Amino acid sequence: MKRKIGLGKTLAFVFCLIFAVIWIAPLSQSLMTSLKSEKEIKMSGYSFLPQNPTIESYTDLFSTRSDSTPILKWFGNSLLTSTAFTILVLVISSTSAFAYARLDFKGKNALFGILMATMVFPSVINLIPLYKICAAFNMINTKWALILPGASGAFNIFLIRQFMLGIPKELDEAARIDGASWFQIYWRIMLPLCAPVLTVVGMFAFTGSWNDFLWPTLVISNVDKMTITPGMQILKGTYDVYPSHAMAGGIISVIPTFVLFLFAQKYFIKGMQLQSAVKG
Amino acid sequence: MKQRPIKKNDLTAYMFIAPQLILFVVFFLVPAAMGVYAAFTKWDIFSPQMPQFVGFDNFREILFNSESTYYRFFRTGFTNTVIFVLISVPIGIVLPLLMAIAINNKPFGHKFFQSLFYMPTVLSISTVILIWYYMFNKNLGLINNFFHTKINWIGIQPYAWIAIVLVTVWWTIGTNMVIYLAALNGVSKDVLEAADVDGAGPVKKFFSIVIPSIRNQLAYTVVLTTVAQFNIYGQPLMLTSGGPNNSTNVLLMVIRDLAFPSFGGKSISGLASAMALMLGIVMIIIALLQYKFVGDEE
Repeated sequence: MKRKIGLGKTLAFVFCLIFAVIWIAPLSQSLMTSLKSEKEIKMSGYSFLPQNPTIESYTDLFSTRSDSTPILKWFGNSLLTSTAFTILVLVISSTSAFAYARLDFKGKNALFGILMATMVFPSVINLIPLYKICAAFNMINTKWALILPGASGAFNIFLIRQFMLGIPKELDEAARIDGASWFQIYWRIMLPLCAPVLTVVGMFAFTGSWNDFLWPTLVISNVDKMTITPGMQILKGTYDVYPSHAMAGGIISVIPTFVLFLFAQKYFIKGMQLQSAVKG
Repeated sequence: MKQRPIKKNDLTAYMFIAPQLILFVVFFLVPAAMGVYAAFTKWDIFSPQMPQFVGFDNFREILFNSESTYYRFFRTGFTNTVIFVLISVPIGIVLPLLMAIAINNKPFGHKFFQSLFYMPTVLSISTVILIWYYMFNKNLGLINNFFHTKINWIGIQPYAWIAIVLVTVWWTIGTNMVIYLAALNGVSKDVLEAADVDGAGPVKKFFSIVIPSIRNQLAYTVVLTTVAQFNIYGQPLMLTSGGPNNSTNVLLMVIRDLAFPSFGGKSISGLASAMALMLGIVMIIIALLQYKFVGDEE
């Protein structure tokens, strides 16, 4: 009996190790290549490790010389866009979830039903008209086109509302008796208690916005206004000539979501599992 | 439903839901309705002209008019998308399930393995391709140098599909893996021990105890993965540019090219919307199948 378990663990370890190598390989090769000089790559052919490690690709990318691939500008645009998007999502989803969880109003069930029904609606159908709407509001080539359209996602409301339903009603009833307004109850009582679910929603909002690819390529054509995810496509175009720079750009582009993941991976994993528990 | 007049409390509630509701109507409901309507029109989104209603013409064109270029575009795009779905979905279910089972055995370093396998899901598709494009490089890439091959990964079939599927698997399966891990946690230890006493082997236990206990999560991930893979776009766009010979030119690339032509050509948004609607309907059907399967077994 004991030996069987031991064998299982060993097999499992070997299996994981093989895949771990495959999982690490692309990232480590990019990192190593970004630390080579372009000259070394062209002259000495393939080697995994850099012979003379240098960070000149990174410093080059940060310098103003790279006008066709302004990585720092893209990074800044992404940071601003994704942060604004995350805040907007958190505000409008939580206020709306609060109303659906705690307040009684005409049309509540119908509205909530419509919101939930739209969750299966594939975004490919509204992609083309959405462009037209953004154009009508003069949002093309502005950050608004990246911030407003995706913010009203119904699933976030659902998650936050579910969490709020688990908070005892006595809390806000006591506050009502003390004369608190509904807004004070939302702001002082519910929001602090909802911190865990808001963290999950916020992190998925931020990563989703940071990683958005197709939509930004449609609404942002001005290179200086671009975010970093579509920017990587332009950077890939320079790859044949400057592989080390391209890899350095790739490494830079993953930093925010990677750091977020390192510090808060349990929330990411909770979030995924929460979704499957709800929808499965 | 009973009718009641709007009260003062209602107004407070409407203030709370208004910001989300306005954005939802303007940026979701309106374009969704427009998207369905546009499929029945002739439309150039870059011209100020209103869409012109043409009935089922677009569908006749892309589904039955074998003389038409758009018929060919749609057929190629749809076939390629389906090929990709058929290859990537089974791998995207089985491999993460095996990983979850291995990690659930709690081998040395299982926490690290879990994080590592999940990590690529937080990266963007363009960064993922940028990184993998270099892996597949014929002369400088790690793969050819490791195996001492000279394969033109992105320019020849079947390697182009293998490359696209490999990248997709690497990028996405962490999601399913963590879902299975949570599901495996819920498998009853008592039942497993009882099976041990009865002398059931690991394979028998897997198929008669583990799989039935996690079937809801399996159904959910099959649907989620299939719908997600029907949306394939970035991988072939950036890795193979739809080549060789359009063999990886997927439907979303076709739709995008028709509606948003890159070199200032005329936007054929009506036809593109019809294609988008077809793709969307396929996805909705798959999503609804889940409810049937899950419902049946409860």
